[in-house]
Amino acid sequence: MFDLFLQFVVNGLVNGTFYALSALGLTLIFGLMRLVNFAHGEFYMMGGILGWVATDRLSMDFFTGLVAVVAVMALFGWLLDRYLIVRVRDKGPEPGILLTIGLAIFLTNTALMLVGTAPHKVAAPVSSGPILLGPVIITEVRVFAIAVSVAAIVGARLLIQKTKLGRAMRATFQDPTAASLVGINTASIYASTFALGTALAATSGMLLGSIYVAQASIGGLISLKAFVVVILGGMGNFAGAILGGLILGVAESLWGGYVQTGTVDMVGFALVILILFFRPYGLFSVRAERA
Amino acid sequence: MKFERNFLTGFLLLAALLGVFIQSDYLLHILTLVLIYAILASSLNLIVGYVGEFPLGHVAFFGLGAYTVAILGAPEVGMPITLTIPLAAFVAAAFGWLIGRITLRLNGPFFVIVTLAFAEVLRLLATNWVSLTNGPMGIAGIGHPAVLDMAPWLQGKRGFVAMGIVLAALTFFIAYRLVHSSAGRAAVTLRENNYVAQSVGIDPFRYSMFVFIVAAFLAGLAGAYYATYISFVGPEVFGFPFTATMIIIVLLGGKGTLSGPVVGAIAVTLLEEYLREFKELRLSLFGIIVMAVVLFAPDGVMGYVRHRFQSLFRRTSHA
Repeated sequence: MFDLFLQFVVNGLVNGTFYALSALGLTLIFGLMRLVNFAHGEFYMMGGILGWVATDRLSMDFFTGLVAVVAVMALFGWLLDRYLIVRVRDKGPEPGILLTIGLAIFLTNTALMLVGTAPHKVAAPVSSGPILLGPVIITEVRVFAIAVSVAAIVGARLLIQKTKLGRAMRATFQDPTAASLVGINTASIYASTFALGTALAATSGMLLGSIYVAQASIGGLISLKAFVVVILGGMGNFAGAILGGLILGVAESLWGGYVQTGTVDMVGFALVILILFFRPYGLFSVRAERA
Repeated sequence: MKFERNFLTGFLLLAALLGVFIQSDYLLHILTLVLIYAILASSLNLIVGYVGEFPLGHVAFFGLGAYTVAILGAPEVGMPITLTIPLAAFVAAAFGWLIGRITLRLNGPFFVIVTLAFAEVLRLLATNWVSLTNGPMGIAGIGHPAVLDMAPWLQGKRGFVAMGIVLAALTFFIAYRLVHSSAGRAAVTLRENNYVAQSVGIDPFRYSMFVFIVAAFLAGLAGAYYATYISFVGPEVFGFPFTATMIIIVLLGGKGTLSGPVVGAIAVTLLEEYLREFKELRLSLFGIIVMAVVLFAPDGVMGYVRHRFQSLFRRTSHA
């Protein structure tokens, strides 16, 4: 009985880490840049599909493929921001939502046309053999994915807190006018942040494509879960997003284990509604900003 | 003001004329779709265009309307369909009150996501509550109002066009009266400047709530009409594609005008049908067109018309 509970919690924590990773890009784009980005799941999807192309079609190994995918997607994000997103900046949420919905429709259907509906498998860098931790079972590839997730999360956090680029980003999102007055090229900062967000989404898509599968139609679901995680954690808060992901993962796993499997996807939405009802600042929001 | 009223009346007359003279079932089907979308988009436009909030869960009320008709009209309950349609609108309005109470306290991106969360919860409930909704299989064989059997020329699709015209007329009337009432002007003041509005005694929550409930009522009406027309309701009535379509209609037509949603409904329905020629490319092209509208016509078709022919709108510059 207790063993089963432990297994559920561990499964939840593993899924939660993946949720946190896949929401990380959105924490930047939605949390900091304030763009309600409905194409986030599509960036994730592109990471998975490109990862499949790189490892399966071009038979690269996983890490070379990852570097290539990240480079391509970062460039894609940069260009998107410089040529499309810049035109809806500071115009309220609606144009941004509509633009990214259009982008999402375009990307999903173009991907469906090119690679079809069938799921594709990204070649995993390690075997999927099981590891026994006392009563709890976890596969090697998941441990590896968690390690990469933690590295990505820590890396992104260090980039934002410690580097000059990160300082410029934080300044830009606090006050763009003041930032440009002290000589920060804000247009380039916006584009870099967007490129970073896109690259993070693609990384998680490729990584999770090696555990589950990469599918052209997955985008919508990923976007929704990522929004849940970002709001649970508080906008633009990295540590919060990680906690939000873990909470969502464990809650879903326990609900699926003890209550009903069919309604698992409902847990996240119910959590968001309840939390914003009782704590309109989000669970861990550092800024005193009301929802 | 006058232009909008004439435009809406003209649209209804044109639809009636087309409904009488068109013989092809396919064209009548398209006309019915335009009417459904026009009602749905007009209701969303009340919130987007006049309250100035952006709900992504408006489809919840559409789906609730559709399911109300399907469940109450089913043989087990056996309520006459004619009665279930207004009932569906009231059920949707009741949920509008409930959801509005929770969501209207939020703003900006939070409002957007929480309304979306409500729609998703309802979609998952409809999928999983099999005893009530028959789950993913949906409810088939929904009847049509008994009135449509009274005259032979009302049978088939023509009757649904007639019904759609009546419902659309009701929708336009309610929307027109709402927008040009003191409540509508209060809502516009809130949209333009929340602080000024509060300083002259407009309670933001109360007025947004009122418009929200009316919009939910109209969306429920659209859902009920959709359910009797398609005669099948499944969990996809709560799905994101409907949300995307109605948002695109409102923004393409031009938010904050009463004629915009109608123009948008016509344009999007025709566009979707025309793009069928392109088979697989169809949805990709649709996505590109949506992006192009945002970038090049951010105020929609009616926004452009208003800008170009300002004399027609001189008296409505506030709306």
